[in-house]
Amino acid sequence: MLKYILKRLGLSVFILLGVSFIIYFLIRCMPVSYIDSKIAAINQGGATVPEETILSMKESYGLADGDDFFGILTGYGKWLGGLVKINPETKLPTLDFGVSFKYAIPVTEKIKESMGVSFAVALIATIFEFMIAIPLGITAATHQYSLRDYIVTVLVMIGISLPTFFFGQILKNLFAMQLGWFPPSGLIDATTDHTGINLILDYLRHLFIPILTVVILSIGGRMRMTRTNMLEVMSSDYIRTARAKGLKERVVVYKHAFRNTLIPLVTSLAGLLPSLFSGAIITEQVFDLPGIGNIALAAMMEADIPFIMGYNMFLAFLSVVGVLLADLMYAVVDPRVKLK
Amino acid sequence: MENEKNIISSEEITENAAVNSAAENEIAEISAEARAATPDEPHDKNVKLMSPGRMVMRRFFRSKLSMIGLVTIVLLFLFCWAGPLFYTQWDASVPDYNGKVEYSDDIITVTRPDGSTYTFHQIIETGKSINDLAKPDANHPLGTDKNGLDVMARLMYGGRISLVISFLAVFIITVFGVVFGGIAGYFGGWIDNVIMRICDILMCLPGFPILLIVGTLIESWGIDLQYRIYYLMGFLTLISWSGTARLVRGQILSLREQEYMVAAEAMGYSTGRKIFKHLVPNVMPQLIVSMTMSLGSMILYEASLSYLGLGAPEKYAAWGTMINSATDPNILENFFNIWGPPGLCIVLAVLAFNFVGDGLRDALDPKMRR
Repeated sequence: MLKYILKRLGLSVFILLGVSFIIYFLIRCMPVSYIDSKIAAINQGGATVPEETILSMKESYGLADGDDFFGILTGYGKWLGGLVKINPETKLPTLDFGVSFKYAIPVTEKIKESMGVSFAVALIATIFEFMIAIPLGITAATHQYSLRDYIVTVLVMIGISLPTFFFGQILKNLFAMQLGWFPPSGLIDATTDHTGINLILDYLRHLFIPILTVVILSIGGRMRMTRTNMLEVMSSDYIRTARAKGLKERVVVYKHAFRNTLIPLVTSLAGLLPSLFSGAIITEQVFDLPGIGNIALAAMMEADIPFIMGYNMFLAFLSVVGVLLADLMYAVVDPRVKLK
Repeated sequence: MENEKNIISSEEITENAAVNSAAENEIAEISAEARAATPDEPHDKNVKLMSPGRMVMRRFFRSKLSMIGLVTIVLLFLFCWAGPLFYTQWDASVPDYNGKVEYSDDIITVTRPDGSTYTFHQIIETGKSINDLAKPDANHPLGTDKNGLDVMARLMYGGRISLVISFLAVFIITVFGVVFGGIAGYFGGWIDNVIMRICDILMCLPGFPILLIVGTLIESWGIDLQYRIYYLMGFLTLISWSGTARLVRGQILSLREQEYMVAAEAMGYSTGRKIFKHLVPNVMPQLIVSMTMSLGSMILYEASLSYLGLGAPEKYAAWGTMINSATDPNILENFFNIWGPPGLCIVLAVLAFNFVGDGLRDALDPKMRR
């Protein structure tokens, strides 16, 4: 087991290096350079920036080695070299993604700062997703090919097929514009000063439609997963035995079958790790939430290299850990699985 | 040789039985395995033998949802390609200039040399405006957008782009996936290792951020914006074949160990024949299902990219770009006829592909008993 985990961790480091190189290379190929566009803006204002200043700025941002392949390679080496720093107080190595060009604060701080909203939306949505999808999946499976199964399947399939932005806009139009029950966008009401419990209620009022959007779009996948697993379990021999010895159908379904259905569901929980923290770029865009997806989109447009690298590496790290955790969970939950 | 003879005889029987029992009411299905086990027994007239292919077709066409999906797909294709042949009054890129007559009404004040003044109205016809944001009527079944373009015509031409792009993307992904997955699975060893590590890296690349970066990159190449979405989706195929490759590899790994492959080995077949004649056809069922399902997700991907402003410009807009116009609060609130229909089209297309994919999966699953 330990050997397996160590092997996987070594592989993860390799994967992260590959991902970071691809992303760094692509960003450096981008036509917009943060410094060039800033200088251009100043030049347009009438002033001229001396060549030495530009060079020293580029030097401090690690962009001085030119935009050919080897220049980018050196830049990548510098980025990688500056990644791990020794904390002077605790003497422990820490990750340092540098200071964001655009937001002018350390990348890790900016990510932490904007994470809250995205995490809240994702967490609440995930809880509701599981609470709604699992019962639906079970009824659909126990009533396979009945009218109920068809209705549930078709409804959740529609959910899967809806583009986020389209459905978000429909809900926004309905609940915010036509009915006026919820505010259409943003996170807090700027006109009133809320404190304490009122502030939290105000947050929830603003987050209601985004969360609803995410929940409805994601129920489908989870429900179908539950249904498929449930069907597979329900056709196994021990279920027939349970029925043969005269157990009530309710006990068969919820006590015997459901426990085995839980295995892949619990496993998939670990795989959800990246989506909890990554922020939903499009949902946040539609509802104008100051979450991490929206912040990253803005940084991307201005070629804010430290932030883009920090954000994307954070995502890649989470997905590597998520996959590893899912595999480990699988072995923990299901005694039949042995990791090699 | 004995074996081969058996197969031939059982096929003959199949054909005879199919002819004989076409009129029978009660038909029992016997799978190919059961048939192979008892090839020489004389056949009961009430038993109809079906080839696996026919059983799949039968199961597929019996499922209502997959039929609904198939019909929807055909209708959408007809709408997008045959639609403009009949709906000729508006083109997707020519605005409707039959708006209200615009005029300017100025009060001109003229000062005489002696200092006294007089005023008069000067009304000048400045031309006909474009008929923008028209509500749906007989002339424009779905109204016009803010540039005076007919929404119905745009819907047809936009659908072509969305559908073509998703089919192309899925096709390319499948080719990459089959080639790399097939090589990795068949040869194993270090080749397998290298390909699978590349897959691992590709799986961990965050899709949307990367595509946004590539979007600006493509713009800098000076490519006509009309074609940017094609390049973008092309790049997307480069980073998303890993799922298909894994599927193909997994299948081939398990198939490679089966007896019939040992037999193929013993017969001295060439590598190409073993891969393409014996392994790939057995991967096809899973592959077809995953292709159908990813058609839907490609349409969604394309729509999301267009929504984020990386799609084709207004005139050549796909469905996603049309929905993008709803970022204007006025349009969002008052003109559902502009952004609603493309959204519904996307939902219909994705839903239909998912239904068909589901139906195919059930039909291709030999364990299914319906």
